[in-house]
This record gives sequence, C-alpha cells and structure tokens, in this order.
Amino acid sequence: MRIADTSVESLLQRLSSDGLGIDFGAARARVRTALPAVAGMIRTLYSGYTTEDAGGMFDVTVELRRVRGVRAFIRPQCELLCDGVREIEPFPLDTPLPLLEWGTNYAIATRLFCYLLLHAGVVERGGRAIVMPAMPGSGKSTLTAALTLRGFRLLSDEFGVVRLGDARLLRMLRPLALKNESIDVIERFEPSAVIGPRFPKTHKGTVAHLAPQASHVDARHEVAHPALVVFPRFDPAAGVELEPVKRTRAFARLAVNSFNYHALGPDAFDALGQLVDESSCWQLRYGDLDGAIKAIGELLDETRRTGDAVPAARDPQAVA
Amino acid sequence: MTVANSPSTQGPPESVRPLLAALADPASSASYDESHWDRVIPIARSARLLGVLAHRVFGNVDRSGLPDRVQRHLDAGLIEARFRRQKTLYLLHTITPILEGHPGPWVLLKGAGYIAQDLPFSHGRLPADVDLMVPRTSLDGIERGLLNAGWEFEKNEPYDQHYYRAWSHELPPMVAAGQAMELDLHHGILPPVGRIRPDTARLFADAVPVAGSRFHVLCPQDQVLHAVVHLVYDSDFVGRLRDLLDIDALFRRLPLSDRAARQALVERARLHGMEKPLRLAAHLCRNWFGTPGCDGLVAEGAAAASGLYGRGIVAMANRVLGPTNGQDGSDRCARTAALLLEARSHWLRMPPWLLAYHTASKGVRSLAQRATKREGTATG
Repeated sequence: MRIADTSVESLLQRLSSDGLGIDFGAARARVRTALPAVAGMIRTLYSGYTTEDAGGMFDVTVELRRVRGVRAFIRPQCELLCDGVREIEPFPLDTPLPLLEWGTNYAIATRLFCYLLLHAGVVERGGRAIVMPAMPGSGKSTLTAALTLRGFRLLSDEFGVVRLGDARLLRMLRPLALKNESIDVIERFEPSAVIGPRFPKTHKGTVAHLAPQASHVDARHEVAHPALVVFPRFDPAAGVELEPVKRTRAFARLAVNSFNYHALGPDAFDALGQLVDESSCWQLRYGDLDGAIKAIGELLDETRRTGDAVPAARDPQAVA
Repeated sequence: MTVANSPSTQGPPESVRPLLAALADPASSASYDESHWDRVIPIARSARLLGVLAHRVFGNVDRSGLPDRVQRHLDAGLIEARFRRQKTLYLLHTITPILEGHPGPWVLLKGAGYIAQDLPFSHGRLPADVDLMVPRTSLDGIERGLLNAGWEFEKNEPYDQHYYRAWSHELPPMVAAGQAMELDLHHGILPPVGRIRPDTARLFADAVPVAGSRFHVLCPQDQVLHAVVHLVYDSDFVGRLRDLLDIDALFRRLPLSDRAARQALVERARLHGMEKPLRLAAHLCRNWFGTPGCDGLVAEGAAAASGLYGRGIVAMANRVLGPTNGQDGSDRCARTAALLLEARSHWLRMPPWLLAYHTASKGVRSLAQRATKREGTATG
C-alpha cells in the first residue's frame, strides 16, 4: 500500500507506536514521531512510497519529538534522535520537517560508509546516470528537480551513492529540498509538482520539499550505469554553453566534493576512477532550465554508442 | 525482580546485552535474524565498537550467510577503523623526524600503542587520538619541534595553557593541517596533583621497544594498569564501554587467568599505588565480559570493590558505561550516577583547594565570556 492511500490518522498511529518504515533504495529508515502535524507532511512528501512494517533491520531509526523541560516555555524546540541519540542540535519547534529531512540525510551520510558518497544530484534515463556535483551557486537542486519533472528519474539530490567494486550508482530517493527562489522557479516550471509546506527562516533560508514521484520510487532498487558527469553553473546572462572537462579534473572535483572519499582510501580511488572513465564530463553554464534539460538529454544520447545500451538491472544486493 | 538480582546493580543494562553477547560469542551471530541485528548494530556504533564487532563476526562467521544490510554496516565499521588506523600510522611516521635528537624513550600509550604492536584487538578498534609520552626533560624541545613543524594547540587561552602545564600530565591537545588525529603529548599518565602518583621513572625504565619501529610502549603490566586508571580513576565512566573492553582484552593477553601473571600484575599495581582501581576494573570486567581471572583477582585482593564505597561505584558505573541509546534523560538513576561519578573523577584528579580554585576560575571565565558576548551583540 502506498503512503498516499493511508489516512493521516492511521499514519500517525504507526508513526507514534512502532514507527513507519521508509525504503529510500540504498538505505531504509524507521521513522517515529507523535507530532500530528508531521504525519500530514510525511503523507504529502512520501505519498509515492510504500508503507513498510517497522520490524526487521533499518539503517537508522529516527525519532522526531518536542524538547521538554523548562527551556521549552521560553523557546520551544524539536529534536531528532538518531538510533536513540541526539546527534544534531535541535531546531525551532515550527520547523519539524526540515529537521527530519536534514537530520535523516545526516544520519544516512554518517552510517553508509560502505559506499562512496558524492555530494551530487543524480538522475537517470534508460539506466544511464547523470551525476551533477553540488558546487556553490550551481543550482544543482533546481536543475535536478527540473530534470525529474521532464522524464529523467531521480536517484538522489544529496548523495550520489557509488557502489565500491563496480562503480554502479544506487538510488537514495529522498524528498528534494528546494531553497528560496528555486521553490517558485519549480512551481512555475511544473505546476503539477507536489511541493510540501514552506518553512521560512531556517538556517538555509526558506525551505520546501519536492515529493519524489511514485514511478521513481518504484525503481528505487535499480542500479544505474555512470554515463555523464555535468558540472552545472547557473548564470542568468548565459544561454546554454557546454565545455568539455578533462577526466582527471572531473575526478579531482568529485573527490573533493565527496562526503567520505578520504576515508575509503584505495576503494574510493578505484570506484571514482571507473565512474569517471565510463562517463563523458562537461561543464554546463545555463540561463534557463528548458535549455539545460535539452542540452543534457542530447549529451546523453550522443554519448550512447551502439552496443553500449545497458538496461537498468536489479540491484542484487538490495533487500526487497 | 528483587533489588539484589536487578541487572542495573549487578551488571550491564538490558539494552547492551545483545551487543555483549555478540562480542563474547561472535560465532553465534550466524543465527541472528535481522530484528536481532537491529538491536546489536546501532548500540555497537554508539559505543564506537562497530569495527571491533565486525572484526570478531567476520573472523568467526561466513559473511555470505549474513543479511546484506548487516554486511554493509559491519563493512562500514571496518572501513572507518582502517581509516583511523592508517591516519594513526601516518601521524607517527610524520612526527618521527621531529622527535629525532630528543632523548626517549618515546612511549606510545593506549590506542596508538596497540596499533604499533599490532595487537589482535586493535583491529577494528577506533583510536580517538594519539597519546605519546616522553621524558619530562625532552618535553619542551619536542613541543617546540612540533610547533615549528605546523602543529598547533587547540586550546590556546592562557588559563587552559596554565591548567595543563601546572596540574596536568599532558599538554593541551595538538592539531595539524593534514592530520586527522589529535596528538596528546604526555610526560606522565596521571595528573601530578592527583590522589594516585604512579612511579613515572619505572614507567619509562621498563618500557619496551616496538619491533620495527622507533617507538616504545609500556611494559604489558603497565599497559593494563594505564588502561585501568584511565577508565576507573581518570574518567566518569559515561559511555566508556570501549575502554572497559580494552581492559578485558589486555587482561586476557597477560593472561589474568594465570596465577603468576595475576600476582605480577598486583605487584606492579602496588608499586604504582593502583590496587584499588585494578580491583574495581576486575569487578566491572567480570560483570560485563566474564573475563577469566577476574574472580581470582577480586577474591585474592579482597576488600576494595566489596566495600560499600566500591560496590557503589560499580553499581553506578554499570548504569552509565553503556551507550545512551534510548535513554532520554528520564532515567533519573543513570543521570544521578553520571553526576556523582563526574564529581568523583574531579575529586580524584586534584586536591580540594585546587579543585575549588579551578571550578571558580572556570565559572568566572564563563561569566566573563557571556558578558562579552552580550556586549558584542548589543554593539554589533
């Protein structure tokens, strides 16, 4: 059953007892909270996910709750426990969802040391992935969001999950955090996009989340082959300019932008080397989303050589 | 359940027991289902023991029989430990030329020492920092050498510097660009103003060289005793399960089950004035890991942990040693125990007049900082 098909009441019932299991693909979390408002928000953002039993093993258990104590009267706050421990500082009580989303990302990043985690948005078409590293001012989230609304399937917006050994990309399907003006941009770009409530005044400005589509969620256990590495740069004055990037340079930029490259040693070196070897690498300066999407689609088609077509295979390691 | 049998006073709390069982009998983990692993893995991670658990499990069980998700988390534990180990060896490699010309022995303590000796239990273990003990007479020269080579003190306020130099057995922690680990430069193993004054000259005199390295480590008995006082005497026990597991491994290495080895250890403890902490540690190791020989040590040594004070410390330590997963502060007993144990650790570390002075200075500085901050926000 999809989360969209459950009532807020029954969702809250689950969330406030054993917890709700959510499968992101490469990881799954058990979510608990007794905050009624949050149940409604989860129902919106995770509508395409299936409701899962809270039994078995989860990569992390997160519990969102109100901070109690005397201070709560002066400054009400909410906190997120990761496996029963407060690993990050509390947020103001009126921003529970940003805390849940950001905190869950944090918990996953610190627990999935068995994969190379790139700080990048990743989408795919036909099982061939486009990795877009997050550089400041790149507009990575906006571009990733727009691509997923134009026929590309989302792998992840925050983590590019690279499997060690064969450099295949796994999916970490999470709601996509949009910041400040990009919320309006995406709303105008695709009025049917499901975007959660806006939270002004977080430490990153106004934040709202784009819900992943059900068809993308259904593909969450499929692996993708690396095909393109695109370093996007948003420039309102530009049209669409593409420039090839040397593989060595792309390697270095991806490594620097990784969450755990330094800790994985030779395994990361090999995996990232293979990823870059199998990809065509480009710098993309773009002024409008439609132009950028068209350019990326064309690049993807061009780089596909005959006989290079790789169907999306089921991840043998994934636990259904 | 009667008070006498209550697990909280007699041994480890319920939440930690699945982890302890997996550590004690890793072969049995072959039959764990995912729900059981879900009670083991998060606790192991919080206790900083995921890599140790992984090392034991993979050494005893065919990994292909384990659930994929379990394999991935155990791999993650090993990967992180491998990284910290590598960074430790790298640090030692880079500081060796700096130590050159300063009389040794240069003694690696705790984690770095276990790694340098390549002790079996160092595999999967996460070293927190690198502790290096050098003779007092070499300390200033080595400190200058490190500062010239780009090492810096993390705490550089005059009071901190004064505190460490006047009343501590180590300099403030040092950091350097490109180094993932902190370096603690020691000239002893306990504060020179504390209740226990170990025989530092003997620590150095009996230190043994590490094969294939320029460094020394403490003699086996002193390695045990240092781990013991570090936990039982110089800490508040909170979340220090890993430190107790170190003691367990070091006890087994002697081995403590051997009567002669036990007597040699007690003898050595007497030399350093560490008999009481040793017995407390034996008591805890017996409760938590059933370490062979602890019974003998407790029985032969009598007193210490069987006295009312010793029993109280053991009972409180049992409450707080494990990771805090799921304890949301509503466990009043654990909170009170943690508070009392913290007070005890300060009490043992320095004489009352110094403790009063130190506490007062800290208070005044904290108030002053708050005032400056407020002023800063008002004007800025």
